[in-house]
Amino acid sequence: MTQPTEGAGGSSASEGHLRQGGRSLLLALYTALRSLKIYPLENATVQKSLDDLDASARALLQTEVELEIRMAGDFLFVNGTRLRVELDNYASFSHILAMLQAFEIGVLHVHSGMERREWQILLSLLLSVSQQGETDERLEVLQDRLDAAKVTHLELERAQAEGGSSEESRHQAKRVYAEGVAVTRDMVSGIRLGRGPRLKRVKRAVQLVVDQVLNNEMSMVGMTTVRDYDEYTFTHSVNVCIFSVALGRKLGFSKVQLYDLGMTALLHDVGKARVPAEILNKTGSLDEREWRFIQQHPWLGALTLFGIRAYEEVPYRSILVAHEHHMKMDLTGYPKAIRPRTLGMFSRIVSVADGFDAATTRRVYSTTPIEPDQVLKEMWDNPKRGYDRVVVKALINLIGIYPVGTCVILDTLEVAIVAAPNPDTQQLNRPVVRIAVDADGATVPLPGNQVSLAEKDESGAYKRSIVKVTNPSRLGLTPGDYFV
Amino acid sequence: MVKALRAFQMYLPNNPIYQRAIQNVRSAFGPVWAATDELHLHVGESDLLWEEHSVYHQLNKNESLAWSLFKDGMRELTIYKGAEAEELPRLLATINQARFLPADAGDDLLTLLWALEFEQIKYRFIDFFSEAGGELPGPSGTAGGSASAEARRAQVAQEAAERPKGVVELEEVDSTLYFLDEEEIGYLARELEEEYRRDFRGSALNVLFDLMETQPEGGVRDEVLGVLEQLFPNLLTSRDFRSAAAVLRESKLLKERATNLRLEQTQRLEGFVTRLSEPAIVGQVLQSLDEASSLGLDEEAASLLRELRTSALEPLVSWLPNLSSAPLRQMLEGVVDKLAGSSINEVQRLLRQPDSPALLGIVAICGRLQLHHAVPGFTDVISHSDPAVRLAAVQALGQLGTPGALTLLDRAIDDPDRSVRLAAVRGVGTRGYKGALRRIEAVVLGKSSRGVDLTEKMAFFEAYGSIAGAAGLKALSTILLQRGLLKMKESPETRACAAVALGRIKTPEARDLLQRAAEDKDLVVRNAVNRALRGVAS
Repeated sequence: MTQPTEGAGGSSASEGHLRQGGRSLLLALYTALRSLKIYPLENATVQKSLDDLDASARALLQTEVELEIRMAGDFLFVNGTRLRVELDNYASFSHILAMLQAFEIGVLHVHSGMERREWQILLSLLLSVSQQGETDERLEVLQDRLDAAKVTHLELERAQAEGGSSEESRHQAKRVYAEGVAVTRDMVSGIRLGRGPRLKRVKRAVQLVVDQVLNNEMSMVGMTTVRDYDEYTFTHSVNVCIFSVALGRKLGFSKVQLYDLGMTALLHDVGKARVPAEILNKTGSLDEREWRFIQQHPWLGALTLFGIRAYEEVPYRSILVAHEHHMKMDLTGYPKAIRPRTLGMFSRIVSVADGFDAATTRRVYSTTPIEPDQVLKEMWDNPKRGYDRVVVKALINLIGIYPVGTCVILDTLEVAIVAAPNPDTQQLNRPVVRIAVDADGATVPLPGNQVSLAEKDESGAYKRSIVKVTNPSRLGLTPGDYFV
Repeated sequence: MVKALRAFQMYLPNNPIYQRAIQNVRSAFGPVWAATDELHLHVGESDLLWEEHSVYHQLNKNESLAWSLFKDGMRELTIYKGAEAEELPRLLATINQARFLPADAGDDLLTLLWALEFEQIKYRFIDFFSEAGGELPGPSGTAGGSASAEARRAQVAQEAAERPKGVVELEEVDSTLYFLDEEEIGYLARELEEEYRRDFRGSALNVLFDLMETQPEGGVRDEVLGVLEQLFPNLLTSRDFRSAAAVLRESKLLKERATNLRLEQTQRLEGFVTRLSEPAIVGQVLQSLDEASSLGLDEEAASLLRELRTSALEPLVSWLPNLSSAPLRQMLEGVVDKLAGSSINEVQRLLRQPDSPALLGIVAICGRLQLHHAVPGFTDVISHSDPAVRLAAVQALGQLGTPGALTLLDRAIDDPDRSVRLAAVRGVGTRGYKGALRRIEAVVLGKSSRGVDLTEKMAFFEAYGSIAGAAGLKALSTILLQRGLLKMKESPETRACAAVALGRIKTPEARDLLQRAAEDKDLVVRNAVNRALRGVAS
């Protein structure tokens, strides 16, 4: 069987034009929305932003019959061409995505002949309707008002419910994850035997993680809940790689930057290959001497990576991340830095990803994992943890306050596993979940029934709400089962 | 495409043949685009197929474009109209890069193409998932474990009834938590830029230096030293002189700061600068620097060269005249001056090496830097077989001007080489060295048998005036003014020399004597007298 691995792409030279024009249109849309939100309609800034928006759309419609702005996951497409998110357009993309998600708009068709007046009505309604009513009603309300205002060149389509990830994406994510673990196992075993890693394979594995995160982030993040699949060091390295790449994406890194970050993340714990196995695998808590060994792994990793050179240059970036990932923002933590040092951005991201995954995972020398929501809260609230707050903020933005894999008890006395954050950022406390145990205490066959906690009954009350986060093992549940 | 690949292999991108190859590829696609908007190729081991027809066939794998693609796993390649403008040359360059990578390289065609993000080229590779990767296991077992539904329900009910501590409420956290504001986006952009601007080599090297200091275990230190020893030549090869300089600096520092270093470890730390200061290696570094001077590496290089040992002085000085880069030469002069100034023993040693290529340069440095302690080393140099070396020595001794230097200068007055003599005479004259009077006087008073030309004679007279002072008035007066039977006793040239010498004495008596000759019948003498008088007046 062959697996297509395609270059990013389009089918004609017009893609470049679409990409550029699409980005201009999105930026103009964002600017107009912001202007309208701040200033009255007659304000010159608002008028100019509407002119710019109208001009951007007209420029595209000169070559295209109509415009189809489609939201798929966290991506925006214009007539099938994906618009690349970069730091300089991050805010506009994020805002428009959030707006479309809040209205559950999947596709916005702009037909030839669209007038400036229609843009103005659309934007005004988007701003006013978003303040009222429930999510699932907003789109109807918006459509009705557009019709009443005789906006005829616009057509809205409701977003298809994604409900986490598609079967195909999940399957691909599983394979990517398994490959990542295998590569890490091979690398760590090689180092234990004094053999260098096969860097080409490691690179390919990281490239696959980046591709998968770009294509379907949640399917990949969901894989991090798989526990006890292999030795902790291997799965943890892959998890940190996934979280780091997903975080980098959230922060607007380019594809190549995501790869650089992913490589450093996958190699961050390579020093553990040189920590005595009896300490790494010891059950129960560690004594002082053993902790000292564990605390050596950052610099052992750095030393190991200095030796990995083969044909190419020393992997300096990975060396730094391996060495710095337990250092805090004020350079306390371990190992102790004597010479002047600035904690790199990659180290800070990997540190957050590492901290989150380590705290939520049951390791041999750690008695009980902490529930994901509590880990996030601690990382955010406790400055002594020494994490970069903007990166922690991005992590929460990425996985919600109930991260994927969290086991929750609902007010219906059902037990559920969080499958995906709510796409509506106003309702991050109402994620998409898979019911694992029904109200009678009976287990629901895998992969559980998927429901959104944002669903309401006829009376307008939420059908289900979280009352408590619980330890899944106490109920005999394994969150990872709901993702594999 | 095949021809272009060959050109890519043989020429650099700025070469006209390389450029022409790209143009030829672009032109070659003209007829293709007349027939279709996309060229969809199936990749075989030795063939490229278009609509099931072989459009390229090459059995020789070393030369085969098809094999270059096939071996790394590419099975389909689609080129869309317009790709030839910009993306196709990049694809070909990447194929060319990949085909010569060794088997154990960290990249292949797939990993290299991955980063390029083509829009008008698509490709498909075979499934890369390795067999070793395997599949994740399925679910761990029956969800819910073995507990009965009733027991589980009771447990859930009990847990749910507890005070719901630990639930994170949306209100608990700041509403801005979920979005990055403009300031944070700006912060991230700056930090990301900083990450890519970071001196990661320097920071990584600091890891090693920190380890040397904080991890006293012999094994760790030996490993760190091994890494540094392996790395150091590569830093030089890649012209990362700043990092190489850091290794030298820190090695020196670590000898003082790292406790309980073993002797062997200390020697290994010293080894970096000792080895780099070896003449052969310094020569290579300088050659490399000279070749790369257009790359603006001079300041970083200076930081490296400043760390060198005294043993590097000889090759550095030897290389100076051969450098083509003026800024590099200037920088190196500064380094050499510093090194010479701080290592007088090495300077003296070099002065005693008659065959050293650096001898001439060292001699000049001694004078320029006023290295008074180096004077004893000149004893041999002043009698060196090469007149150029002796001349440089005489000039340096004149600049030094110490009693020892002037003694040696005096000896040089008898040098067989005219230019050396001339320099020596001027040197002692400028310094007014009385010890040289005997040799000078011998020439001035005509007691020396040596034949000297007018310039040399003039120099001797000038020196005589400067050294003898008023004591020389009588002799000079006789030469300038004494008449013979029919004419002046001395030749006009000798009298002119005497006039110049009187001008150096600058006393009223000397002026009187000169004024008496101011109306001399001989033009040469009259001119010399008038010049001397102007000098006296000033």
